[in-house]
Amino acid sequence: MVDIINKIKDAVMSGQADQIQALVKEALAADVKASDILKEGFIAVMDEVGEKMSKDEIFIPEVLAAAKTMQTGLDLLKPYLVESESEYTGKVVIGSVKGDVHDIGKNMVCMMFEGAGFEVIDLGVNVPDEEFVENVKNQQPQILALSSLYTPTMLAMKDVIDALTDAGLRDKVKIIVGGAPVTQLFADDIGADGYAPDASKAVLKAKELLGN
Amino acid sequence: MNSKERVMTAMNHQEPDKCPVDFWATEEIKDRLKEHWNIDSEEEMLQRVGCDVRIVRGPSYAGQEFKKFPDGSVADLWGVRRIVVEYGKDYYKGSYKEVVESPLEKMTSLQEIENYEGWPSADWWDYSKVGEECAQFEGKCIINVGDRLDRTAQLKPAMYLRGIQQIMEDMVFNPAIAEAIFERVAAYFLEYNSRVFPKYEGKIDIFMMGDDFGMQNQPLMSVEMWRKYFKKNFRKYIDLAHKYGFKVMHHTCGAVRPLIPDFIDCGLDILQSLQPMAKGMDLGELKREFGKDLAFQGGVCIQETLPRGTKEDVRNMVKKLMEAGKPGGGYMICSAHNIQPDTKLENVLALLDAYQEFRDY
Repeated sequence: MVDIINKIKDAVMSGQADQIQALVKEALAADVKASDILKEGFIAVMDEVGEKMSKDEIFIPEVLAAAKTMQTGLDLLKPYLVESESEYTGKVVIGSVKGDVHDIGKNMVCMMFEGAGFEVIDLGVNVPDEEFVENVKNQQPQILALSSLYTPTMLAMKDVIDALTDAGLRDKVKIIVGGAPVTQLFADDIGADGYAPDASKAVLKAKELLGN
Repeated sequence: MNSKERVMTAMNHQEPDKCPVDFWATEEIKDRLKEHWNIDSEEEMLQRVGCDVRIVRGPSYAGQEFKKFPDGSVADLWGVRRIVVEYGKDYYKGSYKEVVESPLEKMTSLQEIENYEGWPSADWWDYSKVGEECAQFEGKCIINVGDRLDRTAQLKPAMYLRGIQQIMEDMVFNPAIAEAIFERVAAYFLEYNSRVFPKYEGKIDIFMMGDDFGMQNQPLMSVEMWRKYFKKNFRKYIDLAHKYGFKVMHHTCGAVRPLIPDFIDCGLDILQSLQPMAKGMDLGELKREFGKDLAFQGGVCIQETLPRGTKEDVRNMVKKLMEAGKPGGGYMICSAHNIQPDTKLENVLALLDAYQEFRDY
């Protein structure tokens, strides 16, 4: 089992999207549990990807290639993950705030969360405050993640937090914020629960806030 | 010293009479300044600002009219559709244009890329009047900046055409497709500039190109990958401008310090932006490490100090930048990008006051 899992990890790390499904099939055929492939293969390797990025050992193209490889593998694996709901680490609602249509950073955060075993509900870009409120109410996520690339639209993050407070939902969810110009200072100012400077640290921050 | 002498002395790594000043701001900020000073003209505003630079944008577009679409989007020179996005409220209201569709995104073969009907041609521009606009800026440093969306670049048009995520994946999965796109882009700009530059010879001082190679914490790609895809044509762009006697300034946002030795190797004269909150982009450090070979423009923080700092914070930032940048020349102060609408007028005025307070040598 260790051998095939290592092959899967190598394939993800080096972005061999064309190899990954064959390797997942090989693992399943060798009776490796789907949940082990997810945990020992994909989740573990995406942690490594994040760490290597933080150390400037790999960059956006390699991270995207790894994420795409993982998703290709995950597509095949998903039907085998029977206990899907209970396997999730948590649920995240995420979006770029109103006025902001930038999404590549947010998409990377989504991929990292998926890689870490979270259920991700991506509301997309230019998301109105009410839509965040509605989804916090109906989806009951543990984490709400807000993204903004642009200093003037950062201010819309505060509007979302205020709208949640007005709706009586602020204490139902942990809010993390990110995007190039966002800082810990700003996050504290607007009353967010956490800030992360990059996609992999966003996952670590979320886990920390959830106490796991 | 007039403005031209001041800038060029500094860019030649000598000390002028005062640190040269450049001014980058969004239209919203320029309008607020004009209203505050009760003036109409851009030129008068630049004089009040104390800006040593005047910009020219090259030829006028003479190609087919850009297509408009029912969703309100308009195609650009490359056939990339953009839409106006509005944001904010009160004093930080504004708008920007963003891509709605990347025409090459779904293509899977080299043939499709080659056959794309939207590749622009240098024939689409009218070069007849290029250079005439320089006469009005006697005594100023003149920079050819191009049009912002069509500024000489490699990665940027490729990102618009192919989509950011797709072109990044291509650099790993489909190098042939990535190379084909970058080559088409570079061939266009080399042809375009080879028609623009002779008209500007002896009239402009600096040619500026712009291509973002950095994000907040690291370059967008490894040094090896940058060399593989971009170095050759980066050098060609610079060589062409040098042939006509222009200095070359390159704009890039973000943390690009690991790429700077390669920029220098390609002959780059001036690095623009110096986004101070990006990792490793502190002016003092950059000057110590690369100041012998490279001059700098930028450094004023538009991510935090200008929009969220106090007037005193703004003054202190300028003081620090001047202390780091002035010795030995090689520095022109400016905001690290256009000052955005979320910056209050009082901070813009504090910035301009601080420029005057600290710029003398």
